[in-house]
Amino acid sequence: MTGQDLKTWRAKVARATVSWRFVVPALAVVLAINWMASTSTSTMMTEIMIMALFASSLNLLMSFGHMVSFGHAAYFGLGAYGFTLAVVRGGVPPELALAVGPLVAALGGLVFGALCVRLTQIYFAMLTLACAQITYTVLFQWYDFTGGDTGITGFMIPRFGLSEKGYATAVLAVVTLCLLALWGIVKSPLGLSIRAVGQDRYRAEALGLGARRVQLVAFVIAAFFAGVAGTLYSVLHGAAFPDYAGLGITLDGLIMVVIGGLNSFAGGIWGAIIYELLATFVSKVIHEWELVLGLILLAICLAAPAGFAGVSARLRAMLGGIR
Amino acid sequence: MQPILSARHIRKAYGAFIALKDISFDIPKGERHALIGPNGAGKSTFIACIAGQLPGVEGEMIFKGENILSLPPARLAKKGIGRTFQISRAFLHMSVLENMMAAYVIASGRWASLSDRVYDERIDRVHAMLETVGLADRAKDVVADLSLGDRKRLEFGMALAADPDLLLLDEPTAGMSIKERHFLMEMVAERVDATGKTLIFVEHDIDVVMKIARRVTVMVRGAILAQGSPEDIKANDAVQAVYLGGGHG
Ligand SMILES: Nc1ncnc2c1ncn2[C@@H]1O[C@H](COP(=O)(O)OP(=O)(O)OP(=O)(O)O)[C@@H](O)[C@H]1O
Ligand SMILES: [Mg+2]
Repeated sequence: MTGQDLKTWRAKVARATVSWRFVVPALAVVLAINWMASTSTSTMMTEIMIMALFASSLNLLMSFGHMVSFGHAAYFGLGAYGFTLAVVRGGVPPELALAVGPLVAALGGLVFGALCVRLTQIYFAMLTLACAQITYTVLFQWYDFTGGDTGITGFMIPRFGLSEKGYATAVLAVVTLCLLALWGIVKSPLGLSIRAVGQDRYRAEALGLGARRVQLVAFVIAAFFAGVAGTLYSVLHGAAFPDYAGLGITLDGLIMVVIGGLNSFAGGIWGAIIYELLATFVSKVIHEWELVLGLILLAICLAAPAGFAGVSARLRAMLGGIR
Repeated sequence: MQPILSARHIRKAYGAFIALKDISFDIPKGERHALIGPNGAGKSTFIACIAGQLPGVEGEMIFKGENILSLPPARLAKKGIGRTFQISRAFLHMSVLENMMAAYVIASGRWASLSDRVYDERIDRVHAMLETVGLADRAKDVVADLSLGDRKRLEFGMALAADPDLLLLDEPTAGMSIKERHFLMEMVAERVDATGKTLIFVEHDIDVVMKIARRVTVMVRGAILAQGSPEDIKANDAVQAVYLGGGHG
């Protein structure tokens, strides 16, 4: 092969190229809105960014590993409580405890994941649900350690005392780094292995890949990033509640991934933006906002199973065709 | 010579249905062995037994002197067993290039790597293999868009990525034209001989079998009906009655 050939061939491999043409303007838009908007808008943006990271970590499992988890909030909650309890019970300085949250979540992912990947499909999903319910119950019931249903509050100044805008900027930086890392993982040889097992574990095994081991690695990575999201969320509110690990957050994540678009990396990000905006604005106008959400989900599942990312890809293709 | 593979009293039941009754035979190293028989004879089941992809198989499967029946498929792949599937199972939502790259990455044990260098170090071999199987100009296409014949070719290349000692091909030429069939199988035979591999292939096209196989096993309803050189098999009355005479479904 000539040098030129090799270069074009290399370009075809699924490596993680970042199209800064999109990323830089997107970051600029977020920063500009944050700069101009009210503090409540900044807080909403912060929540959207945190949920975008959470949904993207779930999306790694769903879109690429084809593992549907009904218990991903467990790792959001473990992140939040890992951070909070390290401060409250462990006496760890909050700045250091920031690292504890994600690590606790990853550890939880390792323990629960090892159990869950023994089964596949709906049985896998049921195990993830069971693990999340166990987590929730422990957080809810163990008053002496976790504070039980009243959660833990007042242990730190929310946002480390940063202004809403300041914290939004910090979260933007962390979430951007995490999303870039996730993108790098999806496109790496590890990501290729995760996709291989997701698409046909039988085939992957015949090639020499231990399917369970690959799934476990994916599970731990997803748990880690969910833990980062949980930690950021806990800092935002200066609190941790059992609901952080509850079914509600799990469902939020699942709905975001479906709305945003399965089988697309951007799906989790779009989904978080659309879902949070809908939840905020539609619920102000219409009391039965869940009804609207239900209709939107119906429409997506029936008419656009690839979600928003799929629709926008189709639009781009159409526009490209016209030009 | 010591056989590379020897099946001893292999039995496999799907529920109450017995798909393999009592299969015993040896495959010497370097042999090109065809497995033929009417639909439902148990050929694919037997291939899956060797590759370690079926639960509840009884008997012994000795590969390179070791009973492999209880080993997981990924371990068997590492020990040198490679296979393709009757219905292509290339990864549907990946490009041809990604499929082949995945095969090479997995074969080298670098599946957990986060470094693009793992790709760079293999791109030449991936390209060469795609050339070999005639898919270099389709590298960017998604497998879902390929013809069945092209998927079979891809499968074959992926199975070769790990450079297996024992290559199991389940109907590698299904969905190809007659010309393509002979072309592919001649290439397979050449490659198998050149690299000292052993080949077991399931094939319905009797002309291909006669040309490529050194020995043939005829299976009918989960049992071995006859075994021998292609010429012996062609002359065998029982085989004629059951298989060759009655067409091949
Ligand atoms: N998973 C399964 N569950 C139940 N029965 C099965 C299963 N797989 C195969 N069988 C049955 O076992 C028998 C052998 O199937 P197998 O696929 O091994 O045959 P084959 O020789 O490869 O046939 P073909 O030429 O059609 O590919 C058939 O009767 C088939 O119906
Ligand atoms: Mg078959």
